[in-house]
Amino acid sequence: MHYFPIYTWNGIEFDLSSLLAITVSAILTFALVKLLTLKLSVANPSKAQNFMEWAVDFVHSTISSAMPLNKVRPYMSLGLTLILFILISNLVGLPLNIVTYVHEPMLGITQAMLDKYAAEGGHAEMAWWKSPTADLSVTSGLALIVFVIVHFLGMKQNTKHYFQHYFKPFWFFFPLNIIETIAKPVTLALRLFANIFAGEVLIATILMLKGYGTPFMIAWQGFSVFVGGIQAFLFTILTMVYISQAAIHDDDGAH
Amino acid sequence: MDWKWTSFVFAMLAFGILYWLMNRYAFKPLFAVMEQRRQMVLDQMNAAENSRKEASAEMEAQKQALAQARQEANEIIEKARVTSTKQADNIVDTARSEATRLKDEAVRDIESEKNKAIASLRSEVGSISVAIASKIVEKQIDEKSQEQIVDNYLKEVSK
Repeated sequence: MHYFPIYTWNGIEFDLSSLLAITVSAILTFALVKLLTLKLSVANPSKAQNFMEWAVDFVHSTISSAMPLNKVRPYMSLGLTLILFILISNLVGLPLNIVTYVHEPMLGITQAMLDKYAAEGGHAEMAWWKSPTADLSVTSGLALIVFVIVHFLGMKQNTKHYFQHYFKPFWFFFPLNIIETIAKPVTLALRLFANIFAGEVLIATILMLKGYGTPFMIAWQGFSVFVGGIQAFLFTILTMVYISQAAIHDDDGAH
Repeated sequence: MDWKWTSFVFAMLAFGILYWLMNRYAFKPLFAVMEQRRQMVLDQMNAAENSRKEASAEMEAQKQALAQARQEANEIIEKARVTSTKQADNIVDTARSEATRLKDEAVRDIESEKNKAIASLRSEVGSISVAIASKIVEKQIDEKSQEQIVDNYLKEVSK
């Protein structure tokens, strides 16, 4: 297994590969979207604009499947940012993997580790590149953002029903409701992380097969793209469902 | 694979900044354009609906005008027919009366001519018969009537 470069500064550890991947993904997402919306036109949209509008419509229909149509508008930007950032994050780790051999203690690799590999006749390997979403720190960060948004909106827009729902259907369901509340962001983070991380682990494993692994690699890369898309979609729609549950109270009592 | 709080914080920070940037520089203009397009389509549909209504009203007006024109034409034709019939009747009447007048005149002429002829014939016949009679009388009177006349005369005288 690879090590990730850990830079320690005043006792604070920075995972350089993770920070790099987050930054690159974010810049890539923004650059892509900005590029596609450079020349906006009302009457004569370009192909890029058409694609972007298709994406907007897709996210719009996704969100509107989770909440009433007239409430969708404020969450469009959030949904689009989530789905695009996570999709791109899921995909950036697939095509390349930058691995260096490490022969001296650096960035979190200690002499003891090096000695162990040297004794086995191999190298300590340092992976500089990965999907940011293959890192639990990142997915839990996203999940926390969603958690904060969901509960903030719940308290702000739907105060009475938000606090009541912890004691429904009966007051002694309170512990269960608390567990559910905590489980939501945890599963959100773990699901995304596990899917992408597993994909990258398998890619690393297939790489060990050298040339024989090529057909597996092709199949698995394709499947990983699919999984990346599904997970991005899932994260977004679950976020919207959670927002809808907490912040939007149907007068008909529909959930 | 450790959980690094630096990555955790950085991810949240990056996502927050990304959200703000995307919202400010990409989605807001895009949504505005999409909204404008929606508005434009709505306007155009309304305009199309209006012009359709206008066209159908115009069509109705044209139809009415056409019907009116047709009716007027029919009236004119009808009037012309009535006038022409009347005129024809007039002409025929005039012709008839003229013919009657001519015929009457002719009859009167014939009558007067006939009368004239009869009158002249009568006078002619009178004179002719007088002439004939005088001729005959002349012839018979010569001996006998001379004697008679003389006798008569003598008788009277002798008386």
